[in-house]
Amino acid sequence: MPKLPPPDPRLALLRGSVPPKRHNARTIAALTTNPGCVRRAVLDTAGIDKDALARHLEFPAPFGQSSFAITRGNAFEAQLKADGCAELLTLLRETLELDLTEVAYADLESVGDNTSEDVRNTYSEQQLAHGGENTLFDHPLLRLIVAGQSVYLEPDLVAFQHQGRFHVVEIKSFAVIDGQADPSKVAAAAIQSAVYVHALRQLLGRPEAVADEVVLVCPKDFSNRPVATKVDVRKQLLVLDHQLKRMDDVDTLLSALPAGLSLGLAPGPDGTPTRPVGELTAALGEMSARYSPDCLSHCELGFFCRDEATGCTDALGTAVREQLGGVDTVAEALQLAQGTWAGDEYQAEVAAVLRTTARVFSETA
Amino acid sequence: MTGPAEALERRIDDLRAAVRRAVTAGDRARARTLRTELHRAEQEWESALEALAPEPAPPAPVPAPAALLPLREQVHQALTLLGAPAAPKLIVQVHEAFSTGGITSARLTSLRRDEERSFRSAPQMRPYYLCAALTADLLAPARGLLAVSTWPMATRVIGPLSPRVDFLTAAARLAEQIERLADPGPSARRLLWRFAANIPGAATGPDQASPTAVAAAALAELDLHRAADQRHRDDAARRARDRLDEAQQLFGTKFGVVARGAGAT
Repeated sequence: MPKLPPPDPRLALLRGSVPPKRHNARTIAALTTNPGCVRRAVLDTAGIDKDALARHLEFPAPFGQSSFAITRGNAFEAQLKADGCAELLTLLRETLELDLTEVAYADLESVGDNTSEDVRNTYSEQQLAHGGENTLFDHPLLRLIVAGQSVYLEPDLVAFQHQGRFHVVEIKSFAVIDGQADPSKVAAAAIQSAVYVHALRQLLGRPEAVADEVVLVCPKDFSNRPVATKVDVRKQLLVLDHQLKRMDDVDTLLSALPAGLSLGLAPGPDGTPTRPVGELTAALGEMSARYSPDCLSHCELGFFCRDEATGCTDALGTAVREQLGGVDTVAEALQLAQGTWAGDEYQAEVAAVLRTTARVFSETA
Repeated sequence: MTGPAEALERRIDDLRAAVRRAVTAGDRARARTLRTELHRAEQEWESALEALAPEPAPPAPVPAPAALLPLREQVHQALTLLGAPAAPKLIVQVHEAFSTGGITSARLTSLRRDEERSFRSAPQMRPYYLCAALTADLLAPARGLLAVSTWPMATRVIGPLSPRVDFLTAAARLAEQIERLADPGPSARRLLWRFAANIPGAATGPDQASPTAVAAAALAELDLHRAADQRHRDDAARRARDRLDEAQQLFGTKFGVVARGAGAT
């Protein structure tokens, strides 16, 4: 187990007097959805409880997975893994071209009766690194260092090919209908699997030992029959790597902030936050956010940032933001379109486009 | 449909108003007659209401005749048929396919613990016990598998290849059992197809699953794994017999921190 360096004292100050919040595969995956957001990077590096922060700022986020979805997902996974992974094995023989002899199975969900994370992690690492003859590793517990804390990650299954490499297998319960699945769900599953690939590569110390492609197993059409698809996660891995490196580089992140800045909620004796909301808002304002409508489904502070971004062109989505490069607010854009303000020199091109658009609209209306 | 009852309701309201008026006017005799009438109307309303109530639901379909054997006997039967350690869900399915009387997997969850308690309080008092299958590396109880104590130790140990070997063994034995039956019934055929779908070359579709072909395909794949699996199992069984006491051989060891050096190899 690598020894962790002591955390930067500025992070503790930033967080207030509470222990850092732990990451999991979902939160790590969410990190990569908006890599340009400094606010999110700082909050996650410091391990701040964004949910509590958002609730105190009176922008609570209705977050969390539905219990029905969780039950459905578990039932589907149990069905695939029943009878010695019978169904899963049939699928993997087709997609990964496993040999008929490659059926050895290691259950890593508990070590004897012991399900403590440390023991499972040690056992998983032993099995993955040295249990050379196994093919299927059920629920190994991997460990990843994120922002100076160790995070435990649990992929659904890792499959190993004798001729090739380790493959991460992710079982999801959203349906693939007529060969098509909800793109946002596939993207979320891909980034989550990329986190597992990254952790597995770190564990083995040989990046080439883990395939860039993960196997996504979903129900087919409206049935309960599974279908497996290979998903390339190279792009997600790059983004993830960038974001994790950035979180390790605490200095660059923190040096831009004023000294002594704190986002602590100063909980009173009964645990309710006592910090004035205005003060917190000002402190958050020191870190620039990069709001886009996607944030609402990834980040607990999304509703706060949306409110803050009212009137900005960012709030209209990435497509609009890119088209109106250099124009920050909706008001400016309207002035440029109506010709009431000529804009700066660098905005000349956007201004021309906006004026043309306005003319087209006025002529067709 | 609600005609008579509604008419009566209106009449009852009218009568109540009339009673109130008579009482306020001090006309006792009239109030008394009106009260009697009100009472009668209310009784009529009750009987009209009964007539309106929907027909009682038809009696639920007769549940499968209660099994004559105790639960552990039924589980023992299913396991003997499969010839390999199995999960409660599979045991229930096998039981449904071949026997009468329903068992639910919820009832099986506590079974292993009950058997262990019974064994520890009075060892070897029963002809057989339903016990745990043991993992080959740690000799700890394997998650969610039931076995029979009279089986040889090597059958009750689960090595890396054993889940697949046991699946194929069970498939072959089920297929043979179904072949012997004149009319296997839909649940048995469904079970056979569930096995056949995941064995290469066993069947092409749910209707084409012939017991002979399924058994042949299962045995063919079994030949690939059997030797290696038997080696693992024999090795682990020897260790279990040497190191574990009687109860531990049936119900497994608890994994402690001490085992780190010795057991977790």
